[in-house]
Amino acid sequence: MCKFISTAFLAFTAFVLIQSCKKSDVWNSGDKASSAFDRTAMLTNISTNIIIPAYSSFQASAVNLDAAVSAFNTVPNSANLTTLQTAFQAVYKQWQATSVFEFGPAAQIQLRVNTNTYPADINQINSNITSGTYNPGLLSNLAAKGLPALDYLLFGVGADNNAIVAQYTTDANAANRKTYLAALSAELNTNATTVLNGWATYKSTFINANGTDVGSSVGLLTNQLVYDYEILKNFEIGIPAGTQSMGTTYPQKVQAYYSKMSVQLALLHIQVLQNIYKGGSGLGFDDYLTTVNAKYNSGSLNDAINNQFAAAIAKLQLLTDPLSANIQNNNTAVLAAYTELQKLTVLLKTDMTSSLGILITYGDNDGD
Amino acid sequence: MFNANVGFNHFFKPLKHIAPLVVLRIAFGFIMLVSVVRFILKGWINAFYIKPLFHFTFYGFDWVKPLEVAGMYALFAVLVIASIMVTIGLFYRVAIVAFFICFTYVELLDKTTYLNHYYFISVMAFLMIWVPAHRYFSADVIRKPGLAVTKIPAWAINIFKLQLVLVYFFAGVSKLNYDWLIAAMPLKIWLPANSNLPIIGQLLTLSWVAYVFSWFGALFDLFIGFLLLSSRYRKPAYVLVIIFHLATGWFFKIGMFPYIMIFVTIIFFSENTHIRVIDFLKRLLLLRQNAPPRTYYLSPVKQKIIYTLLALYFIVQLLLPFRYLFYPGKLYWTEEGYRFSWRVMLMEKGGTVFFHVKDPETGRRSEIINSQYLTNFQETQMATQPDMILQFAHFLAGEYQKKGIKNPIITAESYVTLNGSGSRLYIDSTVNLAAEKETFGHKKWILPFHDKDK
Repeated sequence: MCKFISTAFLAFTAFVLIQSCKKSDVWNSGDKASSAFDRTAMLTNISTNIIIPAYSSFQASAVNLDAAVSAFNTVPNSANLTTLQTAFQAVYKQWQATSVFEFGPAAQIQLRVNTNTYPADINQINSNITSGTYNPGLLSNLAAKGLPALDYLLFGVGADNNAIVAQYTTDANAANRKTYLAALSAELNTNATTVLNGWATYKSTFINANGTDVGSSVGLLTNQLVYDYEILKNFEIGIPAGTQSMGTTYPQKVQAYYSKMSVQLALLHIQVLQNIYKGGSGLGFDDYLTTVNAKYNSGSLNDAINNQFAAAIAKLQLLTDPLSANIQNNNTAVLAAYTELQKLTVLLKTDMTSSLGILITYGDNDGD
Repeated sequence: MFNANVGFNHFFKPLKHIAPLVVLRIAFGFIMLVSVVRFILKGWINAFYIKPLFHFTFYGFDWVKPLEVAGMYALFAVLVIASIMVTIGLFYRVAIVAFFICFTYVELLDKTTYLNHYYFISVMAFLMIWVPAHRYFSADVIRKPGLAVTKIPAWAINIFKLQLVLVYFFAGVSKLNYDWLIAAMPLKIWLPANSNLPIIGQLLTLSWVAYVFSWFGALFDLFIGFLLLSSRYRKPAYVLVIIFHLATGWFFKIGMFPYIMIFVTIIFFSENTHIRVIDFLKRLLLLRQNAPPRTYYLSPVKQKIIYTLLALYFIVQLLLPFRYLFYPGKLYWTEEGYRFSWRVMLMEKGGTVFFHVKDPETGRRSEIINSQYLTNFQETQMATQPDMILQFAHFLAGEYQKKGIKNPIITAESYVTLNGSGSRLYIDSTVNLAAEKETFGHKKWILPFHDKDK
């Protein structure tokens, strides 16, 4: 028995060894001696120089917005509306730099959906105003609050600024509308403050979770980078351009439909994501990929990602605000931008995560 | 010359003490109890079997459907109870059959969760159905003292040893390839990802360490089964088993697998060791169960049935891992004949897939948001496995037919990277998957894995 087993075993091993010596098609990773990358340093850099400054600015812009709302509600005139509109646009722009960090303190209060669920639900907003009751905890109110609702309240309730001011002065529901405006702004402000304060203690947790598993900070950051990027691709561009509706376009579904700065925001958004990828001027994913010598085709993956960011940004720059009009007049350009954005999804979601050994899953499961 | 008959008799016939089988029963039952409870506590019943709208069933098992919420929880309750009953040996045959059926049913529900070690559990539970593991030191013996036996035929122990040798050996064979041995992939990616571990973290980022781990892993898998079989090397081999599995459990997210292997490989120890284990347990439980020496009797008919069954079973076990030879192309890329072959932790594969639906009448096209229908886990698993891509395409065709499109054309634009190859087109994105059938044959619409460097 033993003899038979060992003979068979030897013959078999020889066969398999011969098989395995045929050079397979697999790409041979470069022979770099080491692929040590200081993830702690990257997390320190990104949290100190990108995340916390982003939340600080966001919170400051929200405080500013709240003040502008108070001023407008006290004296609802055209000048105060303009100031308020400018303050609002500043918050919306700063949100583009903040949306991606949906982990830690932001995840706890679900900052993203509470701040920016669009398109705004006009009926729900108006019924909240008419009834004079508003419960921020209700799921049905997600699309009736945050930036999209403010977008509507400040830019969409009248044909021009005079008509808008009238909604807060002579309209039957003027008082209720002012109350609602103040409630939404206050909620935004509270949330921004909560998250900013949360980061004071969460920062060390973030830096210390320096592994690559699902709960690790690199894992969280990568997952959210990809997730937020897909929001940009799908919700800011794709869905309004009709990519998911058999070609039927939905121009009114763009981000910031009423303030007409959708393209501007999308550009800011993608540049922020690019900046996180690069780690600003410090250690980022670009350095990480370079250290592990990640390849794409015959070049480096980092080059491929940088080039694709540039290509996508170039295509977005060809679009014009209001994006809703652009979709109606020249959807081909919008769809072309979408195609470039799509290519970057693959590089970030598949190539980057796979090269770093990061699990791109938002749940938890075993592997084998 | 080797005499098949002698070998056969040696494997099946000699009488052995029942102790190793009894300890295996207790160890297996206990580790299953821990595994099932862990599964429940992690909320996976909901995440894997209740939440998903769509399940990726195995080919030929489309009829296996999940139960209602209460049913699924009840099923896992049965698994918990059955594990306890197996451990203590209460109504053993009923318990182990129930465990096997329930566990295998759960595994058949969705191939998203397919793991070699789940397959291994099903296999072990199946084998345990046929052996008298409850005839000694068990609740059944207390219940019916007449059941007690001390001697059983060798096959009742040897089948588990053979199964384990096969698992390790095939796992080792699957590592004998270019990627693993020469490119040290995927460990070259996976080990540096653990550089945050204390003490050895920095070491894991070194290229040569990936080679050492790759080669050691391959040699371990190839030879450990045989070392465990030899009485001379058994003890150091078992120490290696513990070190190897604990280390992999520490580095990689592989759940209960290391502990299951550490528990079941004790079957290799001598019967004296197992008798001592049982004596220890007896003293611990203050039991004075002393069975008179008696031999397990199996009627010639039953014996013949079991021998035939086991012979067939092991022939299938031996052949299954080689079925990949019938398929063209690179196995890791196509994954045709990949499952049920003890191919463990062999590749770093990732993908993204965009599905498109086209109405042939209007020519209009839509991209699908996969997450509308799939959980992230399902989507991740699907992206790199052609049979799952096809299943989902068929599901989408059905959904769009319901929406009024007569013959929706479903295409998949899918990019996959394998062991750091860089992502490349995986599925022929011009092929209407709605018109492709699932078979055991080769899927011609999987694009070949070419090295773009050359």
